[in-house]
Amino acid sequence: MSDADDSSTDTHAHDHDHHDGPGYSTPQAAIEESTPEKLAYVMGLYVGTDVDAPDFLGVVDVDPDSETYCEVVDRVEMPNRGDELHHFGWNACSSSCHMDGLERQHLVIPGQRSSRIHVVDATDRRNPELAHVIEPEEVFEYDLSAPHTVHCVPDGKMVLSMLGDADGELPGGFLELNDDFEIAGRWDPPGEIEMNYDYWYQPRRNVMISSEWAAPKTYYPGFDMEDVEAGNYGRKLHVWNWEEGTVKQTLDLGEEGMIPLEVRFLHSPVSTHGFVGAALSSNVFHFYERDGTYHADKVIDVESREHDDWDMPVPGLVTDLLVSMDDRYLFFSNWLHGDVRMYDVSDPDNPRLADRIWAGGNFGPRHPIEGERAVHGGPQMLQLSLDGERLYWTTSLFSSWDEQFYPDEGAEGSVMLKADVDPRRGTMELDEEFLVDFGEMPHGPARAHEIRWPDGDCTSDVWS
Amino acid sequence: MVDDTDDTDDANGTATGGDGDVHRIVLTWPDGEDETLRVAGDETILDAAERADLGLPFGCLTGACATCTAHLEAGEVVHERPPRALKAHHREDDYVLCCIARPRSDCRLRVGASVQRELVSNPWK
Repeated sequence: MSDADDSSTDTHAHDHDHHDGPGYSTPQAAIEESTPEKLAYVMGLYVGTDVDAPDFLGVVDVDPDSETYCEVVDRVEMPNRGDELHHFGWNACSSSCHMDGLERQHLVIPGQRSSRIHVVDATDRRNPELAHVIEPEEVFEYDLSAPHTVHCVPDGKMVLSMLGDADGELPGGFLELNDDFEIAGRWDPPGEIEMNYDYWYQPRRNVMISSEWAAPKTYYPGFDMEDVEAGNYGRKLHVWNWEEGTVKQTLDLGEEGMIPLEVRFLHSPVSTHGFVGAALSSNVFHFYERDGTYHADKVIDVESREHDDWDMPVPGLVTDLLVSMDDRYLFFSNWLHGDVRMYDVSDPDNPRLADRIWAGGNFGPRHPIEGERAVHGGPQMLQLSLDGERLYWTTSLFSSWDEQFYPDEGAEGSVMLKADVDPRRGTMELDEEFLVDFGEMPHGPARAHEIRWPDGDCTSDVWS
Repeated sequence: MVDDTDDTDDANGTATGGDGDVHRIVLTWPDGEDETLRVAGDETILDAAERADLGLPFGCLTGACATCTAHLEAGEVVHERPPRALKAHHREDDYVLCCIARPRSDCRLRVGASVQRELVSNPWK
């Protein structure tokens, strides 16, 4: 089932005019050559509810000229219940753009709770099919569990961040799959890190940065402040030697950097700058290399807000962020507040708030689109069109955490919303003609989580 | 009660064997519905419920995630491996994990997705 029929390719030859591999030769080529997305792949979930059905990969029609615009036009059900589909990734992206014969064809879809890893063949973009399953027992043999981020790496392999050991305790690590979607082994030597979450690699700079959530047994059941006080939640970034797979530096973000989640390097392959959102502290950090070492500075501080119905000020909870393909804008979500923000990061040391939209959450309108259904959770998982003109988001964070903070999210299902972005003027506006209702699924209301485009996006494509 | 000492055969106070008996397990849902299962002592509550096609919620199947949390209203169970997702106060309050809980007597358990929500609340509200 290998998607790499010819591996005899020099991945270091950067002829930007000619490539036959997947993706685009440069981030700017992705902007110029891509066409507006017509389909979106979205994780749909039933785990942790009384709906007796498996989680699914939803295929959403986002083509405004289509008769089924804003509808979930296909659902690939997983073979088992209880997975908690969460994040997912491709077998290949622009990091392999010079690897002739390799195609962006298979989606690797882990179950965050089950530790089961699914491989879906998306050759037919509108009707993808389940092709292969790696069962949890095979994963546990490597004393790893709780797969999260999937990135392909330039030689046709895939590396998954794993948040726990086989018992759901620490340490986590990384699992490598070969191009036949078999477990090749651990990517990292055990013991390099304790906690794990997301990661991003910048191969031209031989660097990878990983972040920290907590042990699966800590975050799986829900958020307990007792665990924060006991130091069971993360606050560090780990800077890796990408080629050697070893940690060369650890940055402690301190009390203002509690629970650093999504890690995004700028897309330019020479850049050593990036951003990470500290969810609990509700701050955004800019990380960068200077004089051979990495540094991280808090550059955006989301202030907690008083709410009549809450005893304590409500933190924003910065749960997702992304960088536009032209590296000019940073978007992030405040899941508890209910806004999505757009910052000019042309000076990454000094982000400038360009615009924001309120939709759902604890401070945004319950009905952001008049006459449409209620939106409970705030903006959460984000995805931006390659040309930077359309921002989409879903509203579920994690099944058990949704239940704590937005119990109606599971009962009524998530929504997918969209804003039209003007990257010249730094503005965005909610598209009131767009709402995908995951409350109206055949088996009942579903949560919706990560979003991907069929041909590359701002949160998965890397350039080598 | 959750008896982590009966039939104990490892240092974590968990049990890996059965007691040789078959027990009558009553599952109750918040809407008042109930179902009765016959569960052998070497079988987990979840496996028995799956066999009966009852669709209880579950996740990791290793005792780490608490998706399958039930409240033990009467009777006695043992966990076949450490119930890592439950804190000490949860265990004292008779919450159990169906994926790794085996009966040691006839039991009545309150089940369904809403039971898991009782483990944590919004800390700021």
